[in-house]
Amino acid sequence: MNASASAPLAPDAPWVVLKFGGTSVATVERWRTILQLAAARRAEGARVLVVVSALSGITDALKALCACAPIERADALAKIIERHRALAAQMQLAHTAEMDRWLASLQALVVAAAPEQLRWQATVQAHGELLSSSLGAAFMAANGLPTTWIDAREALLAREVPFLNERARVLSAQVQAEPDPALASALAARGEVFISQGFIARDGDGQTVLLGRGGSDTSAAYFGALLRASRVEIWTDVAGMFTADPRQVPGARLLQRLDYDEAQEIATTGAKVLHARCLSPCRRARVPLWVKDTQHPDLDGTVVAPQPTEVAPSIKAISSRRGITLVSMETSGMWQQVGFLADVFALFKQHGLSVDLIGSAETNVTVSLDPSENLLDSDVVAALAADLAKVCRVKVIAPCAAVTLVGRGMRSMLHRLSGVLAEFGRERVHLISQSSNNLNLTFVVDEAMLDGLLPRLHELLIRAGALRTDDVALFGPSWQALYGGGAELKQVPWWHAQRARLLEVAQATPRYVYHLPTIRERARALRALTSVDRVYYALKANPHPAILRALAEEGIGFECVSPGELAAVDALAEARESPRLFTPNFAPRGDYADALRRGVMLTLDSLHPLQHWPELFAGHEIMLRVDLGRGLGHHDKVRTGGAASKFGLPLDQFDEFLTLARERGLRIAGLHAHLGSGILDAAHWPLVFGQLASLADRIGSVRCLDLGGGLGVPSHPGESELDLAALDTALAEVKRAYPQYGLWLEPGRWLVADAGVLLARVTQTKRKGALNYLGCDAGMHALIRPALYDAWHHIVNLSRLDDAATTLYQVVGPICESGDVLGADRRLPESVEGDVLLIAQAGAYGESMASHYNLRPLAESSVIE
Amino acid sequence: MNASPDKPLVDPRKAQAFRCVRCSYAEGVAELVYAFDNGPELIERVRFPDAPALTEARKPAFDAALRMLHLFAGVSYFKAGVPARIEVETGAPDAATADLLDALYLHGLAEFAYRNGLDLRGKIAFPRRSAPAREWNSGSRAGALLQRHRALVPIGGGKDSLVVAEALKSAGIAATAIWVGASPLIASVAARTGLPMLNIGRELSPLLFEYNRIGAWNGHIPVTAINSAILACAAILYRYDAIAFANERSASAATLEYEGQQVNHQWSKGWAFEKLFADWLHSHVAADLDYFSLLRPYSELAVTRAFAKSGAAYFDAFSSCNRNFRILGPKPADRWCGQCPKCHFVFLALAPFLPKPRLLQIFGRNLLDDEALAPGFDALIEYHDHKPFECVGEASEARAAFAELAARPEWREDALVARFREEIAPRLDASVLTLQPWLLPSTEHGVPERFAGALDAIRRA
Repeated sequence: MNASASAPLAPDAPWVVLKFGGTSVATVERWRTILQLAAARRAEGARVLVVVSALSGITDALKALCACAPIERADALAKIIERHRALAAQMQLAHTAEMDRWLASLQALVVAAAPEQLRWQATVQAHGELLSSSLGAAFMAANGLPTTWIDAREALLAREVPFLNERARVLSAQVQAEPDPALASALAARGEVFISQGFIARDGDGQTVLLGRGGSDTSAAYFGALLRASRVEIWTDVAGMFTADPRQVPGARLLQRLDYDEAQEIATTGAKVLHARCLSPCRRARVPLWVKDTQHPDLDGTVVAPQPTEVAPSIKAISSRRGITLVSMETSGMWQQVGFLADVFALFKQHGLSVDLIGSAETNVTVSLDPSENLLDSDVVAALAADLAKVCRVKVIAPCAAVTLVGRGMRSMLHRLSGVLAEFGRERVHLISQSSNNLNLTFVVDEAMLDGLLPRLHELLIRAGALRTDDVALFGPSWQALYGGGAELKQVPWWHAQRARLLEVAQATPRYVYHLPTIRERARALRALTSVDRVYYALKANPHPAILRALAEEGIGFECVSPGELAAVDALAEARESPRLFTPNFAPRGDYADALRRGVMLTLDSLHPLQHWPELFAGHEIMLRVDLGRGLGHHDKVRTGGAASKFGLPLDQFDEFLTLARERGLRIAGLHAHLGSGILDAAHWPLVFGQLASLADRIGSVRCLDLGGGLGVPSHPGESELDLAALDTALAEVKRAYPQYGLWLEPGRWLVADAGVLLARVTQTKRKGALNYLGCDAGMHALIRPALYDAWHHIVNLSRLDDAATTLYQVVGPICESGDVLGADRRLPESVEGDVLLIAQAGAYGESMASHYNLRPLAESSVIE
Repeated sequence: MNASPDKPLVDPRKAQAFRCVRCSYAEGVAELVYAFDNGPELIERVRFPDAPALTEARKPAFDAALRMLHLFAGVSYFKAGVPARIEVETGAPDAATADLLDALYLHGLAEFAYRNGLDLRGKIAFPRRSAPAREWNSGSRAGALLQRHRALVPIGGGKDSLVVAEALKSAGIAATAIWVGASPLIASVAARTGLPMLNIGRELSPLLFEYNRIGAWNGHIPVTAINSAILACAAILYRYDAIAFANERSASAATLEYEGQQVNHQWSKGWAFEKLFADWLHSHVAADLDYFSLLRPYSELAVTRAFAKSGAAYFDAFSSCNRNFRILGPKPADRWCGQCPKCHFVFLALAPFLPKPRLLQIFGRNLLDDEALAPGFDALIEYHDHKPFECVGEASEARAAFAELAARPEWREDALVARFREEIAPRLDASVLTLQPWLLPSTEHGVPERFAGALDAIRRA
């Protein structure tokens, strides 16, 4: 590389500021990346300023040097010197005079140590950046890119802030950063590529001050504003900001475009990638700020810039904070009194507690306190409560968590949030706060509720159309796709290869088509799980005889919920020898008698049968279905745990059931719990197994634990598949703790959903206002899941599979119900009467729930062997 | 897991005799063998990791301890059938030993009997011989058998044993954290003590599960007694001269009275068993092996207070909950079910001694602000109900803790504290609701003088 070969820059060439953090400057390999990036920007015609942090770990080492005993200082200093000399050696630098100068000045500071003085501490700590930038200047110059070292303290002047104490003034100073054309042109006269320090500035007396946490990002922003740079690039280890913390939500999407306020709000409420303080200087000077991944420089990253026009409002991110304590203050009529609130808040100040969120009503004011060591380990809360109790009734509510939705125009999206609000509605929401800047909506809830909540909310927001991940201008790939091995990429569905055949059978529609190889493949995958001892197919998902035969051949048993289902299995020679379970709910007495006659294992889930029909069960082995007290799943109507669900024996009747069973001579051979459907989190089943096992230990006769089904099938773009291998590993782990219990599963949808499609023909089209309706002959009588569960089914125009999807359609059926919508806002090719539509993932609860409603005939079905 | 026994399994409830067939020890593994009538042998194994060779000098003491372990551990199998006769084929014990065994089986199985509607009184009689038997008595009076001043501290994962561990550490007494059976929770808590660790393996006979499936009696057994006997063997084997358990004063209180019999869920954690077993070890195994509970003089509240002061290192690791015991996760809900009496009591007892936000962080939720838990807390304070069958403190202690919280502004408005204040406290004698008396140690304990420093450390924590 020979950067100096390009023509000299014009005096008014635009500035670009590049910032690199501690790990990005810690090795010679990383410095090569910096060199390349700086040279590339210069080659594009920009004047470049590189702002660097100290080598990773050095700021902490310098802090420790400030705090350590005098006798340990020499040692601490030696280690810091050694670290820089080692990097200089790796860089093969002939010329290290600049670095040596800073090392010498650091040594001098240590000799004249004044550790009690904040200014001495600041000057010592500033050496981390002075050293790294000096090394960088030498390295870049030595490698063909002449680079001018500048002392950030010349450019960045801390401003006087009246309410700041000495500590804040010296260790987390703020800089007045208005565009300064004189500085820009003075620097332009000195060179083309510059390097300077993050984290440090000078005060009015010319003394060194520090910019506090996140200080290097802030320095870059200050420089960007002073120089009115064309952009500031923050180079880090991730591609940018995401719609949620990727550690909690692997499906979180990269935010490609944010305005300053949104970015500030997201940074404040949880995202760590960018410090909130660096946004305001850029906003004032309208300098765009880019976040980029050093390891993947070609990724777009996040661009924070003035708000673009023509963007539909969307939630941009969700975040959560734990460990929040609420103080709720209740009194009648006092709030109106002048100065009452001021007195109350004075008590918080007096106890050194800073209030974050506030919610108030006529007789109640509730405030939140962020977590701190002070709060957890001192009696400050007790003391505050004692003082507050003198003027109002006080209640301390903890541990809480704040869940924040961020996005511009939040209020205009409220109507889309009903599903999201319902998710909160089941729990205790202590406080809701919505600021007047219309950017965020925060819910404070019990911390225990937070487990798994964020992924669920993220999904709900996407489904509700409130997080518009379909807008590719705003939302990039998911974290999973970028960094998690791309597991979200699903294989091409079987029906692509069967298109011709499907179009052929679509002569008569609506029609279900089932692909048996897909079902067999799923069955084999489950049978291959080493931790699962037996698999029963939940017949209700789809009792088609061909499917039952195929599953029986794969060694799968059958779980039936009615005499009709038992009879359906008995009617098939291939299936009737398979293991069967009878798991009805509120079934009449005769159903149980019928199942016992057939010799099928029964599941009971209430006291009633034992209390009223004991003679029926005497001497039999049964399974007991319990309700572990909570439900899971993608919709209210598919949750099958918790008091609001009719399934399962509540645990408070467990002992009574055991007593009755003993008295009636029944043996409980297994315990069963099924918490809901569509669960994609593999950690769920081991938890249920552990809970059932601890109950089974109290019985003695139990030999198997049936975890039900609920294995989720992803339907939305971007949802991840249930990780079967992870499930197997997690189950194997709990089974080691309870080796005496066999593990059974009862999947339904998971085995058959993907194997079935519903074919329909376009009947009519209609335009109404801004909406395009696409009518077809399959409605809610053929497939009720969208109407019943808000289920999302992928819809394609099979006749025009390769055409560009250009038109946004509401895909509707012929039934006289306004809810007869198969899919809202679907982008499809321009479609005409007679086109064949394919509704995917219709193998489960499609045909089995179909009806004659409106006296339309039942959909027919075909099977592909 | 279908064991294929040589002989067909017969319902043990129909058996005439429970036979303690034999016991042996070789290369770190003790084998304990039992049978019902002529049924298949039930073999339990206890594994002592990296066991040092057993010298001739220590062998008689070890053998005596092993014989006792055989008969103690038999209680798990005996209870499956509760036959009329107990046979000891390794030789009948002497009268003192038989008395201890009779007491253990009767009182230790009292809750089991209550739950199953059985009456064991007059039905448990170990065979006995009048003259002392040599194989039942090591004859050891020498101090040279064991290394002086080294204690085994059984770790349970809960707060009590951690208070003991910290007290021994602060008194400068050499100790080893020991536990029986695989438990990731205990392993992680034990590691935090910073003490050397010893994990004894114990495998129940798989046949017991088979018996359970064909209808055997099942229920609570005095597991602390079995662990005590295992630790006695371990002490001789690894040369420790003290076993410092963590059973507090209230463990001696009866849980309820049933047809004239006192039922104590934790009888083998009580003072009566401690005295019997400690004396027996002195007279039959080794005069210099001390078995005691360091917490015996203290109430649950005093122990909890000590834990609040000295246990900060364990706050995010310990658990006294029995429900989630064998599965370890990072979240509070993985360690505290929030539903069982243990969770309720530990929460209540810690509340007066920890800053509220810290306590709520440990449990991940506020159990005292959940109205649905009222019945559980009522049971703790014996309001409407009897004491639940778990190892929790006496009702008066729980009431004192409640009364203390009712007076604290940061607690008094929480649902169950407010309920106590308004509905329950007015019916109670206010003079017995104070916390302070519970923090004073009693004099009834068996802690040797050389552990006085550790005893004191708990009071001063």
